[in-house]
Amino acid sequence: MIKVESLKKSFGDLEVLKEISVEIKPQEVVVVIGPSGSGKSTFLRCLNLLESITGGKVMIKDQDLTAKGTNINQVRTNVGMVFQQFNLFPHKTVLQNIMLSPMKVRKWQRKQAEEKGLELLRKVGLYEKAHVYPDSLSGGQKQRVAIARALAMEPEIMLFDEPTSALDPEMVGEVLEVMKDLAKEGMTMVVVTHEMGFAKEVGDRVLFMDGGYIVEENAPIALFENPQQERTKAFLSKVL
Amino acid sequence: MGVFSIEIVREYLPFFLKGAMVTVGASLAGILIGSILGLFMGIGRISKSWWIRYPFIWYINAFRGTPLFVQILLIHFGLIPLMMESVNPLVSLIVTLSLNATAYIAEIFRAGIQSIDRGQMEAARSLGMTHVQAMRHVILPQAFKRMIPPLGNEFIVLLKDSSLGAIIAAPELMYWGRAAQGQYYRVWEPYLTVAIIYLILTLSLTYLLNYIERRLDTA
Ligand SMILES: Nc1ncnc2c1ncn2[C@@H]1O[C@H](COP(=O)(O)OP(=O)(O)O)[C@@H](O)[C@H]1O
Ligand SMILES: [Mg+2]
Repeated sequence: MIKVESLKKSFGDLEVLKEISVEIKPQEVVVVIGPSGSGKSTFLRCLNLLESITGGKVMIKDQDLTAKGTNINQVRTNVGMVFQQFNLFPHKTVLQNIMLSPMKVRKWQRKQAEEKGLELLRKVGLYEKAHVYPDSLSGGQKQRVAIARALAMEPEIMLFDEPTSALDPEMVGEVLEVMKDLAKEGMTMVVVTHEMGFAKEVGDRVLFMDGGYIVEENAPIALFENPQQERTKAFLSKVL
Repeated sequence: MGVFSIEIVREYLPFFLKGAMVTVGASLAGILIGSILGLFMGIGRISKSWWIRYPFIWYINAFRGTPLFVQILLIHFGLIPLMMESVNPLVSLIVTLSLNATAYIAEIFRAGIQSIDRGQMEAARSLGMTHVQAMRHVILPQAFKRMIPPLGNEFIVLLKDSSLGAIIAAPELMYWGRAAQGQYYRVWEPYLTVAIIYLILTLSLTYLLNYIERRLDTA
């Protein structure tokens, strides 16, 4: 589903991703952990080319993102993204947030987009909030709307960049629940998070990133309970 | 100074009012044309391609870095005669105000666009929107709201600066003030009256803008 070969990314002189290679299968849930500044967000953003890549290759469903004929907008409709800061559109209601892209990009009729939007809001438990503006929502509600908005494009892949890090602790659970449901439905997911419980429950694999490399990867339990690399051990001892 | 002669004011009032209409019309035309051109220039100003960016930056620098007085003379006596057979001072005034406003409004648009959190653009692009779609449906509607106060400010500046039209004999408010002064060699009657009319115009505009801002805040 996703194939990353020797991915490199620099910002000016700062080499953030030095050499990343990984393959992610359909329906797999991959959790990415690592210290702050290790390049987790950058890695995720390279997967839908929100960051231009400096070297190597990213393939989504056998489509090389940086190849000449690739329409990146088309690829992005198949790769949803959820941000730490939600990034809802404040000038639109919750439902309009969800309907915008299907109507403008997929050229759906208003009615179809609306039905899809309401269906997704029901799914994330926010049906009654359809017509309010994002400002009036709590953090957890905002993030659930953001997930619904991404799902409206019917992507096969979802990327999550620390989706619960900006939330008050009591709201983390409601967002993780929605994500767990998605995982169970077979969504291919790449999730940057430090929620170890989530990783253990629905993660198929955990990648530990540090210094621009994937230092270690393994099944969640194996990685958390029996890390092989010194850097992994040091990191886990701090966060667990 | 002698007694303030209300007679002079009364005689010239119809001309002052006609002039005020021209003043409002010319500055309105300037702000509208300037907004349209300024939108494109403001977006071009932050283009990634230097060959789009640089000409715009230089245009903006040139118009913001020279006096409107000089611009109006260059345009009326230089540029317009090059391009048109007949020269109309009112046209010259509107052209000058528009080109000048374009430079300032381009900067207002640029600042407005850049004030929107970059996460907005990223979210829109991550949903598959093109850059143009993201601008149109996500960035600009938010930026417009923030641009209304500085745009209103620019309108007020333009309304006052349009008085420079008097030096090329565009029949705006100040032109009639000078005409009355020239006829009677009086200072207070024409200039004080004209000043009061400008004040009424700018204060009404300020009031209107505050009203619009309040409406948008609650929307
Ligand atoms: N747009 C950018 N320009 C310059 N440096 C950046 C940019 N984005 C990220 N970085 C740098 O890249 C490094 C990795 O950042 P990031 O991928 O956000 O790490 P993480 O998500 O693991 O905390 C950091 O040192 C950060 O300062
Ligand atoms: Mg990050």
